[in-house]
Amino acid sequence: MDISLYGDDSKALVHFDPRTKLFIFLACGVTSMYTYSGLYILLFTGAVCAVLALSGKPWLALKAFFAFSVALYIKEAVDHTGSSAPAVVLIVSVLTTLILYSLPTILSIVLIVQTTRISQFLSALSAMHLPVNAVIPIAMLFRFIPTVQDEWNGIRKAMAFRGISVNFSSVLRHPWRTIEYVLVPLLFSTIGVMEELAAAALARGMDIDVKRSSYEEVRLHAADYIVMSIFAALASAIVILVSSKGAAGI
Amino acid sequence: MARKEVTQTTQQSDKKLRTKDLIYAGAFGAVYIVLMLIVVLGTSAIPVLYILAPFTVGVVCATVYELCVLKVHKFGAALILGVLFALVACSGNVLGMILAIACALAAEFIIMAGHYKSRKMFLLSFLAFNLNMVCPYTMLYFHRDEFMARSVSFYGQDYADQLAKYAAGGLAFIQIGLALAGAAVGVLIASGLISKHFEKAGII
Repeated sequence: MDISLYGDDSKALVHFDPRTKLFIFLACGVTSMYTYSGLYILLFTGAVCAVLALSGKPWLALKAFFAFSVALYIKEAVDHTGSSAPAVVLIVSVLTTLILYSLPTILSIVLIVQTTRISQFLSALSAMHLPVNAVIPIAMLFRFIPTVQDEWNGIRKAMAFRGISVNFSSVLRHPWRTIEYVLVPLLFSTIGVMEELAAAALARGMDIDVKRSSYEEVRLHAADYIVMSIFAALASAIVILVSSKGAAGI
Repeated sequence: MARKEVTQTTQQSDKKLRTKDLIYAGAFGAVYIVLMLIVVLGTSAIPVLYILAPFTVGVVCATVYELCVLKVHKFGAALILGVLFALVACSGNVLGMILAIACALAAEFIIMAGHYKSRKMFLLSFLAFNLNMVCPYTMLYFHRDEFMARSVSFYGQDYADQLAKYAAGGLAFIQIGLALAGAAVGVLIASGLISKHFEKAGII
């Protein structure tokens, strides 16, 4: 199994605190409501990619930034050609917008999931004085997203082995059967993983009510403060610009 | 014999959420959100299906929700699932987030009305829970002009025109209806799948 699926920061140049990564995630959520095309969102995505590169994923960051720039360029080009072929323009512009809209948020989730170990995440969240009822589900959420992908890939291979494919046409022709084919094995395998994780957590004494100590040292360093202030400045600049000029202004 | 008694007493005294339950809730939250994102992103290129999302997500995700609440069997499972949903789906939309959490609380109270035993109440609670799929659209209802202006600069005039055509009047009620219908269909599928597969395997 690919170890990098579950967070690996051994190649990181700068070890950012998980709280910084969460902050970037929230900033992406806010700005994706406000930004459209243009220089600002390119700058914002560039900043996310830079953090991703510093955290030990330079190639992924480069690829994502390249894809984003290409999508932005295509969208600008299509918007300025006018409507000689409305249907094509509509489809292309919707597809590129989907990329522009979702890529920063997806990148920030990748940043959290792939470059943070679960123990770091747990200790950072407890350092925020969140109650344990909130810490464990949030940590599990980010820990489990790659697991779901992993299980799903395995299930798709197994289904292809038996000559069952899940694609657009099968969803249209047999919606109920497809839902059953997808959901039942996915839930069975993920529940198996959940039970193992629960057993592992109990074995490590997660169930006791005493405050737990941790090997992980979580502290906000200078780099964390710099990155957080950059993202706060970018996000607030975007929000202020959009709300002062109006949506059509940019 | 002695060991059996011990396990029984610990099970009965467990009203509070234990670590194990929190792990289940978080993990089911991940499954729920991944499925939801696949359904929403897979369909949102077509304006009609974007509005239909409460229905499609309800149909697909009902089984995940039901398994989660049936497996944990305590106060908090639906609430945690709802909070995680709100964090991911409505981040940056405070009103939507509050409403989504309120939906999860309503679902929780419906389960509570069944004393965490009644299967019907468990199934019924998804009707309330699935209303949270309407919450990301709250901007569309309350700041309609702003939203439309945004979609114009975001998706282009044609897309926005189509969206405006379908979003003509009473969209909120249509979407609430869709969410309820989707939840109803999803619950039927879920109860079928649970009695066909998951109960037999002894998972819940």
